[in-house]
Amino acid sequence: MAERGRETLRFGPMKPVGLTNAHRPEDKPYAVVQLRRDNALGTLYNIVGFQTKMKYGAQTSVLRTIPGLENAQFARLGGIHRNTFINSPTLLDSQMRLKARPNIRFAGQITGVEGYVESAAMGLLAGRMAAAGMTGQSLPPVPASTAMGALVAHITGGADARTFQPMNVNFGLFPPVEAKGGRRGRKDRYKAYTDRAKADFLNWLGEGPHAAAAE
Amino acid sequence: MTKILHIVGGGMAGSEAAWQAANMGLPVVIHEMRPKVGTFAHRTGDLAEMVCSNSFRSDDDEQNAVGLLHWEMRAAGGLVITMADRHRLPAGGALAVDRDAFARAVTQALHAHSLVTVTDEEVTTLPASGDWIIATGPLTSPALAESIHAISGSDALAFFDAIAPIVHADTIDMNVAWRQSRYDKGETEAERTAYINCPMTRDQYESFIDALLAADKT
Ligand SMILES: Cc1cc2nc3c(=O)[nH]c(=O)nc-3n(C[C@H](O)[C@H](O)[C@H](O)COP(=O)(O)OP(=O)(O)OC[C@H]3O[C@@H](n4cnc5c(N)ncnc54)[C@H](O)[C@@H]3O)c2cc1C
Ligand SMILES: Cc1cc2nc3c(=O)[nH]c(=O)nc-3n(C[C@H](O)[C@H](O)[C@H](O)COP(=O)(O)OP(=O)(O)OC[C@H]3O[C@@H](n4cnc5c(N)ncnc54)[C@H](O)[C@@H]3O)c2cc1C
Repeated sequence: MAERGRETLRFGPMKPVGLTNAHRPEDKPYAVVQLRRDNALGTLYNIVGFQTKMKYGAQTSVLRTIPGLENAQFARLGGIHRNTFINSPTLLDSQMRLKARPNIRFAGQITGVEGYVESAAMGLLAGRMAAAGMTGQSLPPVPASTAMGALVAHITGGADARTFQPMNVNFGLFPPVEAKGGRRGRKDRYKAYTDRAKADFLNWLGEGPHAAAAE
Repeated sequence: MTKILHIVGGGMAGSEAAWQAANMGLPVVIHEMRPKVGTFAHRTGDLAEMVCSNSFRSDDDEQNAVGLLHWEMRAAGGLVITMADRHRLPAGGALAVDRDAFARAVTQALHAHSLVTVTDEEVTTLPASGDWIIATGPLTSPALAESIHAISGSDALAFFDAIAPIVHADTIDMNVAWRQSRYDKGETEAERTAYINCPMTRDQYESFIDALLAADKT
């Protein structure tokens, strides 16, 4: 990230706003490195936004130049990892089935969504679609105005197949909300997206086969 | 003959898919290769292991699309979100969880479900018959990736991403760092102090950036 410009980090994960140094309240920090609790015991903290390609040796010495981390011990260093995903817009139908082999569905990050939440959500849909199909129940398509619907519509057709990249859920994937006169602030607009999504989602749940109560 | 749904990969997607299908009355077999075969990021044999950050991101279901996804999964009786809620940690507006307790809870719920079977086999080729969901994630084993590649041609891809370092809390100098969530966000004291902050002066920042840019990259 630093390669994009010397100031990129200071306006991104290291921005100092909304924070007051408890030890020296009068000194406004120029930048702040934040660590987020990583387990219930509070024994591990991850460095927010510090995904890095630095080699392990270099990484330890660079991270220890951060004030407060001079003697830090690391439970895991940052690193690069593989991310496998298929070109869903060309390979999958709207039911997340492989067009060439409809007995096979794909779900999760391998379909080109990104993140724990998005992956779980695509699993939820794929599980329901598969079960409905196999038990002869009908499941209407989840509306594109919902977060799940917007994501699945994106990967199975909405996205440009030539430039397809893993996608996080965001309001840009939703069909626009109609502005009802006057200028809407961003807060109102987001609220309109989520209000519409919730109503449509509950409606969809009501139309579909009913899952037995969780055990 | 009773139909069986086979799910390859018991991660976030596979675990949730299994739960949903089983709750609709369908027998499900989860094929999860861990702990027999590992990946470089997973550490356990638990289902739904979180490999990096312990956060499910924003839980704001009015102003944030991820928070909305949480809401929809709750409405649909999602297993992942239920267990995330149960093992939530203070994180100032984000849904962060105790990763080990969370993964164990998902694992136990699936093992306890009468219609769910979990096997620890790696699936190495795309099956020709039967009903399958492939949910093998970003670290799909090389053999299966090869098989997917073979039937999809150059349309399937692999690429690289980066993960953040994790620090042992007791090695952080709290005479320099302090606990506070940005804008003191959060309802409880724990939420308002969920983050540890390390301050930098301008000089410290500039030399940090120099060191970053000079460091060896992989
Ligand atoms: C659709 C698809 C088609 C493919 N087709 C082909 C093909 O035709 N031919 C072919 O040869 N291959 C193919 N592959 C395989 C692909 O190219 C592999 O991703 C590649 O071989 C990289 O494997 P790797 O083990 O080096 O990388 P990774 O598994 O990503 O790991 C890199 C190495 O670094 C280490 N490492 C990285 N980060 C960390 C960390 N934080 N902590 C500890 N260790 C770390 C790991 O232990 C590992 O050894 C295909 C893959 C896909 C998804
Ligand atoms: C290093 C790294 C860091 C990440 N950091 C974050 C983060 O901070 N926040 C975030 O939201 N997301 C993060 N992600 C993405 C996140 O891990 C995924 O979005 C999510 O886990 C995907 O869910 P999934 O079910 O698709 O895959 P996974 O959760 O990875 O589950 C796939 C499962 O399939 C199994 N499997 C693979 N191949 C086979 C096979 N051939 N046979 C049987 N089983 C198999 C694996 O063992 C695994 O259990 C990260 C990913 C990686 C790799």
